[in-house]
Amino acid sequence: MSAGDRDGDIGDLFAIAARELRTVVRTPAVVALSVVFGLTVVAVAAAGSGARGGYVPLVLDLVPFVEALVPLLAVALCYRAVLSDRESGELDVLRTFDVSRPAYVGGVYLGRGLALVFVVFGSLLAAGATVPVLSPPDPTFLALNEAADSPVAFLRFSVLAVLFALAVAAVALAVSAAARTARQAIALAVGLLVAFVVGVDAAAVAGLASGNLGIDAVPLVLAASPNGAFRSLVLGVAVETGGSTSPVAALAGLVGWVAVALAVAVLTAWRPVE
Amino acid sequence: MTDHEPTEPQTDEPTTMPNPESATTAETASDELTGETATVDADADTAAESSRPAIAATDLSHAFGDVRVLDGVSLSVAPGEIVALVGPNGSGKSTLLRFLARVRAPDEGSVAVGSEIGRARVGYLPQQPGFRAGFSAADTLEFYAQFVDEDVDVAGVLERVGLADAASRRVDALSGGMTRLLGLGRALVGDPAVVVLDEPASGLDPGMVERLFGIVSDLADAGVAVVLSSHNLGPVERTADRVVVLDGGRFVADDDPRAVVESAGAVDLQTAFGDLVATEEVTGR
Repeated sequence: MSAGDRDGDIGDLFAIAARELRTVVRTPAVVALSVVFGLTVVAVAAAGSGARGGYVPLVLDLVPFVEALVPLLAVALCYRAVLSDRESGELDVLRTFDVSRPAYVGGVYLGRGLALVFVVFGSLLAAGATVPVLSPPDPTFLALNEAADSPVAFLRFSVLAVLFALAVAAVALAVSAAARTARQAIALAVGLLVAFVVGVDAAAVAGLASGNLGIDAVPLVLAASPNGAFRSLVLGVAVETGGSTSPVAALAGLVGWVAVALAVAVLTAWRPVE
Repeated sequence: MTDHEPTEPQTDEPTTMPNPESATTAETASDELTGETATVDADADTAAESSRPAIAATDLSHAFGDVRVLDGVSLSVAPGEIVALVGPNGSGKSTLLRFLARVRAPDEGSVAVGSEIGRARVGYLPQQPGFRAGFSAADTLEFYAQFVDEDVDVAGVLERVGLADAASRRVDALSGGMTRLLGLGRALVGDPAVVVLDEPASGLDPGMVERLFGIVSDLADAGVAVVLSSHNLGPVERTADRVVVLDGGRFVADDDPRAVVESAGAVDLQTAFGDLVATEEVTGR
């Protein structure tokens, strides 16, 4: 006997999230990609000089890898989530059960997002654990300012990486809801990845070089892409280098991407009948 | 002769839904005057309730680009009635069934289910039912059972569609016929009052076809309104209460199977169908 007593949209959302999580865990390709991501991050920590120098150097070592690999992982997890349900006809059937669009999209995002958080955060924590193992013992004849390099900085970086991953996942989910074919979804996802990883940075450089963009505007331009916002937050909040970063604008950028992307996913998942 | 009779009179035209507010007002006013008329009105309401169709589609029209697939068709199905929708490939049967299941909206027209427009659930079996790979048949129905208010006896549903022995089998390891039966089981989760089945017998062996139409007959006996499309006209002729032939976006016949056969001067529904539609005009939809 299966329990009834439906809890409305919230109950529907959690039911869908649970299935998404179970689906991710049972998908060999996603599991393999997650393992590769984890091994890569730990390998970068172990093989590079970052972990030997402390937590902050490790953060600086990992930033480019996280910027490139986290979007790949997030896109792989989400770019077909809604589309595959539509192709299999399950989306139509779910609609006959009066599941609302926000509950469906929210459930998919929650389930896949949880898997993403687990992989990204777990991998980065494993990488951070290499610091005490690989860094040389503190010299006893020097006074040290340990506040400049602490596990807290690395923890902040890991949390920011999770936020970054969730922002890209939301965008990938919007792609999967808006695309009508797998080919369309791949094209859109690749296009957005390229735009995020190099496009906005290249536009900022071009703007500066041509004089169309003032130096003060750079943080705002960077906040316009999830990658740029993540980098700004890492430099401004995790390692606190200061400089031309705007953490507030960057955080607003990430949150904005999540909000807009989820709104697009809700609006395009299906067209309401009534 | 069909295997069962619908529990309510058939109606070819959609029934106008009574306005609950005006009915209440009429009852109160009458009660104040005589104290007895209210009972009469209540009986009238009960009669109206019992004659209300389980589902009524009114003036549905739809086009894909320049191709008009439905042209102002109306269909009303009583509780316990089995309506078989037949027509050539691409005649718009699946499109009409999607509208009845309310997973798509027509360009024009409306669909009303029971007493609440746009709210009551319609069980739906798509033409090619798909399921999330990696889950068992029982897991799959358990998942959908979470979206209905009632407790769902998943094992009972699987038993009902003949999949009790496949409860723990992964859906991607089911045969095509078993996948379709699981799709039927999914449509029955929550005991909807209306079930829409798109080609439920497609790909099934003759034994399974008979079993499926037996399930359909049992559903109707329990008061469920069933609308199905099928090319298996033998079982349709034996089971359906009404056959609706769709061709060129319109209904070219809508009657009980025997009447359709007789009016076409044919020996069976298969022959009558051949006479009613130009089967060579396959539009490819």
